[in-house]
Amino acid sequence: MLTTIAQAVVNGLLIGGIYALVSIGVTLIFGVVKIVNFAQGEFVMIGMYISFFLATSFGIDPLIALVISMLALFFIGVLLQHFLIRRVLALGDMPQIFLTFALSLLLVNIALLLFTANYRTVQTAYSETAIHVGAINVPLAKLIAFAVAMLLSGLLWMFLHGTDLGKAMRAASQNRDVAMLMGINPDRVYCVAVGVALALAGAAGSLLMPFYPAYPLVGQNFVLMAFVAVVLGTLGNITGALIASLMMGVAESLGIQFVGADSGLIVVFGMLLLTLALRPNGLFGGWSR
Amino acid sequence: MRRFVSQGGFWVGALAVIAVALPLLVSSTFAIDIFIRILLFAFIGVAWNLMGGYAKQLSLGHAAYFGLGAYTSTILLIRYGVSPWIGMLAGGIVAMLASLPIGALCFRLRGPYFAIATIATAQVLMLLFLKFRDFAWGAEGTTMPNLGDAPLMMQFDSKAPYYYVVLVLLAVGLAITYWIERSWMGYYLVAVGEDEDAAEAIGVDTLRIKRNIYLISAFLTALAGTFYVQYIYFIDPNTAFSFNVSVEAALVSIVGGIGTLWGPVVGTVLLEATSALLQSWFGSGHGGVQLTVYSLILIAVILWRPNGLIGLFTELYQRFAYAGAGRAKEVPLDG
Repeated sequence: MLTTIAQAVVNGLLIGGIYALVSIGVTLIFGVVKIVNFAQGEFVMIGMYISFFLATSFGIDPLIALVISMLALFFIGVLLQHFLIRRVLALGDMPQIFLTFALSLLLVNIALLLFTANYRTVQTAYSETAIHVGAINVPLAKLIAFAVAMLLSGLLWMFLHGTDLGKAMRAASQNRDVAMLMGINPDRVYCVAVGVALALAGAAGSLLMPFYPAYPLVGQNFVLMAFVAVVLGTLGNITGALIASLMMGVAESLGIQFVGADSGLIVVFGMLLLTLALRPNGLFGGWSR
Repeated sequence: MRRFVSQGGFWVGALAVIAVALPLLVSSTFAIDIFIRILLFAFIGVAWNLMGGYAKQLSLGHAAYFGLGAYTSTILLIRYGVSPWIGMLAGGIVAMLASLPIGALCFRLRGPYFAIATIATAQVLMLLFLKFRDFAWGAEGTTMPNLGDAPLMMQFDSKAPYYYVVLVLLAVGLAITYWIERSWMGYYLVAVGEDEDAAEAIGVDTLRIKRNIYLISAFLTALAGTFYVQYIYFIDPNTAFSFNVSVEAALVSIVGGIGTLWGPVVGTVLLEATSALLQSWFGSGHGGVQLTVYSLILIAVILWRPNGLIGLFTELYQRFAYAGAGRAKEVPLDG
């Protein structure tokens, strides 16, 4: 019994690392640019397909492809901000929500047309390897994914707190007008924020590839989790999103273990509704909205 | 001004005559089926528009009420032999009751996070209906008992009567919208939609207004759910709580013009016509074509016509109608 629980917790934590990469991206864009990116999951999907094609065409390991998919998605993010998101920032909620929502629909359906709905998998040398700690089974691919996810989160924290650009980003997220008065160019900061957020989604895609199939709708599995984690962890709060993602991974895994295979989502949505009822500002205080 | 209003009345009358006569002129069941889809989604769009268009509460979870309406009437029909006409109203009431706790939770969030919370509620309902097999047939769903031509049980042996049922639903939806638009509630709704804090500050009870419009919107959406399962003779959780219903409801309103009486109708006609054309060009085998085109249209509308395409039509109409008279533009067609 105890081993079962421990095993479920470990599984949950490991996948929670991936959720963290996605939700940190969502909360970063929300914090800085003040919009919710409904298409974040689709960028995970793009990261997966990039890694898949690099692996099958050139034999590049997904862990090396990670660098390429992060760079590609950073570039896509800058373009996305510059050509699309920038144009709706002055408009109301409706265009802001439905622009990224439409983008999500578009990317899923283009993927469906280009790659069909088939599941694509990549087998690596470490895909089936597992480390045994006592009675607990730790799959190596998931462990690597978790470790890299935590490393990237740490690097992002250092970037936001240690570099001028990172500080400018935090300043712009706190008060755009004052940041502009201080000589910060908000357009540039927004481009970098969206680029970094998408790069994290791309990293999540590459990290998933050794143990998770790629298909057009795969992003939805992660984006719903990310949204809940972002609400749970208080909107715009990056550390909050990280902790909440790990919690949700564990909650989902325990739900699957003890309630039934298809009940992971019920547990997650239940957590969302409960949070809204009890602590609408999220677990980590701060501001609502 | 007066001339304009009576002209508007004339066009609505002409439209109504065409709509009523359509099944008499067109005999192809394929065409009637498309008309029924157009009217149904226009009606769902009208119901969504009350919430999303006027009060700007952008719900992406209206499938919750669509599904509750569908399941309520079906359970009443199959378990207790109750006519779907009564089941339809019962479904509407169930949906209204459900909208109270759902609204109480979701209205704590604004803008995008309200939308996400509504997605979650519809998904939770779908998962519950999938999970509890004894309660409502689980994932396999069930077919409606075929009673042949039984108007009292909302079953007909041809498509035309279904067409008239959904036409009446749409007319009711439009009449309710028209009436709300011109009542005190309409002004409160627009105030909430424009700026919730400002509305609150001048004494609008925003929570009550949002709750009331949610009740009406949920009720109407549930009627559409009952109609739909009666029309296709089948129900399962994935059909009844389909995310596509939530998306389509918002989509047709946005493309047509949110917060306008005729916006959802215009949007549905355009999108469904596009979809029918795409199907005849590409066949129905290519999954993805239709939604790819839909999302491109949506992006284009958001970037260039955020008020929807109906504005384009009224502009053209006014230019055309007043070109000779040289009169200045006046109030838009629908206030």
